[in-house]
Amino acid sequence: MMSDNTPAIDIRNLVRRYGHTDAVDGLNLRVAAGRCYGLFGRNGAGKTTTIKCLLNLLRPTSGETRIFGLDPVRDEVAVKSRISYVPDQVSFYPWMTVEDTLAYFASFRAQWNRDIEIGLVKQFGLNLSQAATHLSKGQRTQLALICSICPEPDLLILDEPTSGLDPIVRREFIRTVIGAYQEGDPARRTVLISTHLISEFEGLIDEFTIIDRGRNVLTQEADRARAKHQQTLEEIFVSTLQGALA
Amino acid sequence: MLLQVNFKSGMAVYQQLVDQVKLAAAAGSLKPGEPLPGIRPLAEQLRVNRNTVAKAYAELESQGVIETVAGKGCFLREGSSPFKKDVRRKVLAESIDQAVVHAHHLQIDKEEFLRVAEERFDALALKRTRASQG
Repeated sequence: MMSDNTPAIDIRNLVRRYGHTDAVDGLNLRVAAGRCYGLFGRNGAGKTTTIKCLLNLLRPTSGETRIFGLDPVRDEVAVKSRISYVPDQVSFYPWMTVEDTLAYFASFRAQWNRDIEIGLVKQFGLNLSQAATHLSKGQRTQLALICSICPEPDLLILDEPTSGLDPIVRREFIRTVIGAYQEGDPARRTVLISTHLISEFEGLIDEFTIIDRGRNVLTQEADRARAKHQQTLEEIFVSTLQGALA
Repeated sequence: MLLQVNFKSGMAVYQQLVDQVKLAAAAGSLKPGEPLPGIRPLAEQLRVNRNTVAKAYAELESQGVIETVAGKGCFLREGSSPFKKDVRRKVLAESIDQAVVHAHHLQIDKEEFLRVAEERFDALALKRTRASQG
């Protein structure tokens, strides 16, 4: 079992190369359980590659990744049973309706909160008999969010979840993450959000890491960072990276 | 009672909520025995982490401003502070010390400081009167 101080995510010296390009170049990331953690970086900074290495969707060139102290390669099933992941591009099977898709995702899970499912389908106004591939981009993201929240995982990983969505859908998305996901025992629920749309998540994030060119640039608690720099997280992000680029 | 957060102020978000509830209570827009917004709806409305709201409420409870009723939520405490008078004086003295130091650096002398203090008391009393009139 996990002891109380085992981090939800522990990444050490992660390197991932594509050909001669280092997408991730010695990255370290430690996320304590119960945190809502922001992974901030520009497009191409290495956020998605880091997440894919963490989920064993990509093999790291070198370095170590742990989720709840477990090895995502050796203990793949144990790790995956405790996490949910919403990728930046969401796609579903073309022969399934919204209802089929929900049942299909539920079939992989030990637990599935039907009340949350019913509540969110209603809140988002999704039509259960519609083909999942006929949904708009916003609706597809909402369906993916329902699929990720209903299993009530210990760790929710969101990769650029709101990019390409209109502002109203974005707001609704963030409200849902705040409300439904942090229901129950908030100390057990960890969220990792990778994004470059920082102002959207300003209030939700309690600690963050800024990465650039696959490396750590700054890790800080949100309240402390705002107090120190007298700036919003987005302003800190911009000034940090402009400093790093100079 | 309208709660707002400002991410530009540099002040911790939970502290902003603590200060606003205390101000609302002092100004009479939040009355003893009145409920505070639930943690989840407030977090959703302000789009902040639930832990932030929970931390603010815990701080307000430890300061004796609000009380939690199991299963019902948080309420502005009725009646007097749970702390003894000497403790209350000491806590207040610490805040005043800061203001006195601040005044020194702004070249505001004791007399003027006391005048400003009186003005601020009156301003708060006016707010309370307005709140009670509806």
